[in-house]
Formats: sequence, C-alpha cells, structure tokens
Amino acid sequence: MKTAVRTTNLWKIYPQEPDPVEAVRDISIKIETGDFVAMAGPSGSGKTTMLNMIGGLTRPSQGQISIGDQEITEMTDKDLAQLRLEHIGFVFQSYNLLPVLTALENAEFTLLLSGIPKDERRKRVLELFNKIGLSGLEDRKPGKLSGGQQQRVAVARAVVANPALILADEPTANLDSKASADLLDVMERLNQDHGTTFLFSTHDPRVMERSRRLITLVDGQIESDKRQNHLSVSS
Amino acid sequence: MAHDRLWWRVAWRNLWRNRLRTLITASGLAFGYLGAVLMVGVSDGMLVELIENGTRLMLGEVQVHSEDYLPERNMHRTIGGYEGTDLEIFLNQINSQEDVTAAAPRAYGGGLLSSGEETQAALLMGIDPDREPHVTTLLSRVVHGRPLVTGANEILLGSEMVEQLGTALGDEIVVVAPSSDGSMGNDLFTLVGTFDTGIPAIDQNYGLLALSDLQFLMAMDPARIHEVAITVGNAQDSPRIAETLREFLSDTELPVQVSSWTDLRPELAEMVSLMNAFHFIVVIIIFGMAAFGVANTMLIGTFERRREFAVVRALGTAPIGIGQTVVYEGIVLGMISLVAGSLITWPILVWLHNSPIDLTQVSSGFSVGGAQWRPVLRVEYSIESPIVAGLGLFLTSILAAVYPAWKATRVLPADALADR
Ligand SMILES: Nc1ncnc2c1ncn2[C@@H]1O[C@H](COP(=O)(O)OP(=O)(O)O)[C@@H](O)[C@H]1O
Ligand SMILES: [Mg+2]
Repeated sequence: MKTAVRTTNLWKIYPQEPDPVEAVRDISIKIETGDFVAMAGPSGSGKTTMLNMIGGLTRPSQGQISIGDQEITEMTDKDLAQLRLEHIGFVFQSYNLLPVLTALENAEFTLLLSGIPKDERRKRVLELFNKIGLSGLEDRKPGKLSGGQQQRVAVARAVVANPALILADEPTANLDSKASADLLDVMERLNQDHGTTFLFSTHDPRVMERSRRLITLVDGQIESDKRQNHLSVSS
Repeated sequence: MAHDRLWWRVAWRNLWRNRLRTLITASGLAFGYLGAVLMVGVSDGMLVELIENGTRLMLGEVQVHSEDYLPERNMHRTIGGYEGTDLEIFLNQINSQEDVTAAAPRAYGGGLLSSGEETQAALLMGIDPDREPHVTTLLSRVVHGRPLVTGANEILLGSEMVEQLGTALGDEIVVVAPSSDGSMGNDLFTLVGTFDTGIPAIDQNYGLLALSDLQFLMAMDPARIHEVAITVGNAQDSPRIAETLREFLSDTELPVQVSSWTDLRPELAEMVSLMNAFHFIVVIIIFGMAAFGVANTMLIGTFERRREFAVVRALGTAPIGIGQTVVYEGIVLGMISLVAGSLITWPILVWLHNSPIDLTQVSSGFSVGGAQWRPVLRVEYSIESPIVAGLGLFLTSILAAVYPAWKATRVLPADALADR
C-alpha cells in the first residue's frame, strides 16, 4: 500500500501566556492511500491542529509531514497553496461556503482556480451533484440551503478536482443524525469509487464507528489506533 | 490569469453584499469627484476671467517693442529706431505667424488735457481704430459716443477723466504734449466718446487718439511706433508663442523685444501658477481624505471576511490571490464611483458654464495686476480636469485597497477558521 500521509515526531506548541500549549505532542502516523480514517478525541485533544498541519494551514513546531511523496514542512505558502489545490480537499465543521457564490459556483471553485474550462466544470459538478443528491439546487446561494445540503456542497467542492486526500474537520458536528448518516454515505461512496483517502475528525461515536481505522487522541497524543473490520456500505 | 474572472466576480458580488455601505462609500467618492472637478472648474473660470480681462482689455497677449523701450518707455525708442519701420510690412510679418490671431500698432505719449478751467495729466495712447478691435476689447468699452475716426483730431477719454475735466461729449479738449523734436505739440481734439473699463487706473488716466493723429501731434514720422500688441489663440500658450516670434523677428534684424503677458504682468502670471498649484493641492486633499475613508471601509469589509479568505486559502488559493480580489474590489468601487460622479458632475458643470451665477449681491469683484474679476461665478471646463480627477479617484480607490489587500493576504487561515 502506498502512503498518503506520514507524520514523523510531529509537535505543535502554541506560545501562550502563562504556559505554552502543547496541542500536538510527538505524533507519528502513517495513513494509507484509499483509507477511510477517523480521528477521535475530546475537545481540545489536538484534532484540528493535526488536520491543519497536514493540510499546510498551520506550521508544525517540530517534526515532518509528507503528503504522498512530498515533504511539506519546508514549503512556501504559495507552494502549499498549489499542493492543496492539486492534492488536498478541505471540509469544515461550519461548511464555510462562500456566501456570494451559488452552490454550483462554490462547488466548481477549485476547478476555476485550476483553469478548467467552463463546460468541463459544469459537467463534473452536475454529475457530482446528481450523485450526492444536490440536483436542482445548483443556483441556490448557501443561505437558501439546509445545513446538510450546505455540507454536501462543501464535500462536492472538496472532491470535485479529484484530490488524493480529503481532510474533514468534524464535518457532521453541525448536522442532525439523519443528515450525518447521509453525509457519511456520500463520503464512503466517493472513497470507494475514486479511491480518495479520507481523514476526518469527529467526536460522534456513530461516525467513528463507520471508519475503517480509528485514531484516538488525548492531550495531543495518540491514545489508541485501531483497524475496524467492518464493510459497512449502507445502500 | 485563468481565474481572474473568478476574482472579479467575487469582488463585484462582495461589493453588493453590504449595499448600503458600498453606496455610501461610492457616494463619498462621487462627491469628492464632483468637488474636485467643480473646484478646478470654478477657479479655472476665475483664472480665465482674470487672464482675459488682464490681456484682452488692453495688453494683448504678446507685445513687441524696441529692445530698449522697456521699462522706461522713452518716447524716442521706437521700433526700428529714429527711422522707424515700414508698418505694413512689419505687421504682415507678425501676422504671418501661425499662432498670431491679430496685431495692432501703438504709440504712447504723456500730455496735459484741458477743458475750460480744468487741466489733467494724461497718458496718451495712439491706436489704429481698424486694427485695435481685433486685438483688444478696449474700444468696445466705449459707453457713450462712438469710437475714433483717423485724421479728424478726435479723442476718447475714460469716464472718470471726463468727470474730473468736467467736460462732455462734443467738447473741444486742448492737448499739449512734448514732441520728439523737443518742442511742445499742442492741438484741439474733439471728445467723441467715453469709455468705462471698470479699472480706475485706466478710466482716470488714459486718453485714446488715432495713431496718426498722435504721431502728428508729437512730430513723429508715421513709420515710428512704440508697440505692437498681439493676440494669440490660447492665452496660456503665450510664452511659447512669444519665443517663436522672437526667433522669427531676429531674422529681420530689427532690435526688438518680444514679451508675453506673463513677462508684462508677472503678478498675474504668479497668481495663475499659484492657483494652479493650489488646485493640485486641493485635489490631493480631497482624494487623500477620500482614500482614508475608503481604506477604512474596505478594512472593515476585509476583516469581516477573514474566515472566507481562510477558506479560499485552504482550497488552494495563493495569498496573492486573496490580495487580488480585494484590489479588484477597490477597482470596481472606483469605477462605480466614477460613473456616478460623472453622472452628477457633468450636468452641473455644463449648467454652471452656460449660466454663470451672478455674485454681485455678495461681492463687487476685485482686480489683480490690472486684471479685473467681475463678481460672476464663471465655470470653465476642459477635457483635462475631469480626466485628471477621474484618474485621481481611480488611484484613490486602488491605493485605498492596497493596505486592506495586504492585510487580507496576511490572514492566518488556521486562526481565522477557528475565529481566533
Ligand atoms: N492558535 C492557537 N493558539 C493557542 N492555543 C491554541 C491555538 N489553536 C489551538 N489551541 C489549543 O490547542 C489545543 C488543541 O486544540 P485543537 O487542535 O483545536 O483541538 P480539537 O480540534 O481536538 O478540539 C487546545 O487546548 C486549544 O485551546
Ligand atoms: Mg477542533
């Protein structure tokens, strides 16, 4: 199996008065390509910090991170942006769609940044919308969509350019259980159809349970890391 | 760049997100534009008025003298010396210059005017009644009677001089003047008209005679004149035209001096350049103030959108892309303001130009360096000032966007996403 993400002795210390916060303490993990990994742990355990460091949004205090075969710790902001554009999709807890753009425009955002022609963009987004139950909502602004719909647009935005890795920070935290389950379905399907690697954080047991690998953090350290042997593709 | 269109679209829509704020900011800029253009228009109007009155009335825009005539104005120092010069040929040479609209010959003398018991010293100015009106408006200021006829010993006097002499139209005036041969010339002249220029120095002191009549009185050959007054297309161009004429006339080998009104009325020229500099400063102040207002608004706008900047950074936008969309916002705001500004400015400008506001109620006017300013709010506009002000406005909105744009590129994505 190829490695999608590898961290080596990763530390993140936030300088803060009176005492610096050690948000991530010496974490080394390896995530395989095509895996579907949940990162669990109580609030403040370092999940967001880990995801942000892996995505190049936060610089580690110490240690190394590789995405595929690229070592990213020394990259410039500009190169990191390019890396994200080509290889990484982000999904956030609070959807974070751009309010001035329609669902379709939000979803095609990264394709636009990559300079994909309009016809191709539309085709890919419409196909994806169809697959994840967003057909007919293309022209709505985020304010006119439910939370579940917004989060599915956000997932579409993250996956549309076919990145190798999706980082999702508590993607279901703002959703009710039905919408959460639906979103998990969507993520699983994309994982299986495209072989996209998913790494998402959660503290919802029902979400953890659907991952194939569950890493649990406590106080910035790995408390447990286990494979879950289930083949749970509902629908 | 491939995704430029995306940033323009985002910039445009972001502007309309907070409609009221954008409208207020754009109105501020639009009124700044109105203010700048109008201010320049009004003071341009004032300058044109001053220059026109300073030159058109009597001076002309360019003058030619014998090189030793100024500043003493010695009566013997005529163009071409004691011989004088062939007037027709000389005037034709001057008129052949492209920028010269018209030229008129003049002679000057000092003298005493008497009517009845009263005697007054006067400046006698000999003019060509046919040529003078093409150069100056002096003869159009004749308010009673009529202009001069050559060879009939007629004289025009200023209204105040007429009052001081206690004389009336049709009266005989005794004119005594030292003549070129050292004797005293004296003759009777008929008062055929009075002029009123509104400038006391002229209305009190000048007597206008036909050129040949004055030459005869002063025992001067008809070939001898002291001055050629010239009018040109554009008064502001006078220094350049004078220079060209100077070079041209140096070929004729007459020792002449060519002066533009800026040399002859340095205080007026001073005032013109002072006011031009002043315009510039006011425009800078107006737009400088606007720049801070716009920058402040945009800074608030970008601060409110920190999280969105973080999101697009997370999606793979380079920091520069974030700055780009903020600058585009400034550009779009500038364009909206410019359109709005032009829409309110042009009608007002054209209207004021066509019907100047009469300020006689609040001011009686003033004069600077012999140039009179009538109390009328005259507005002049050129194609220049709206363009310059437009550029100013545009530059303002772009410059005002630079700092917020830079701040936006500095947003730390992780912090913004966590609302830290
Ligand atoms: N920018 C920051 N500055 C200071 N402390 C921070 C910052 N970001 C996170 N932390 C702290 O680091 C710890 C881990 O936070 P986080 O990674 O957000 O955990 P989680 O996502 O699991 O809730 C927390 O104690 C949090 O307060
Ligand atoms: Mg978190």
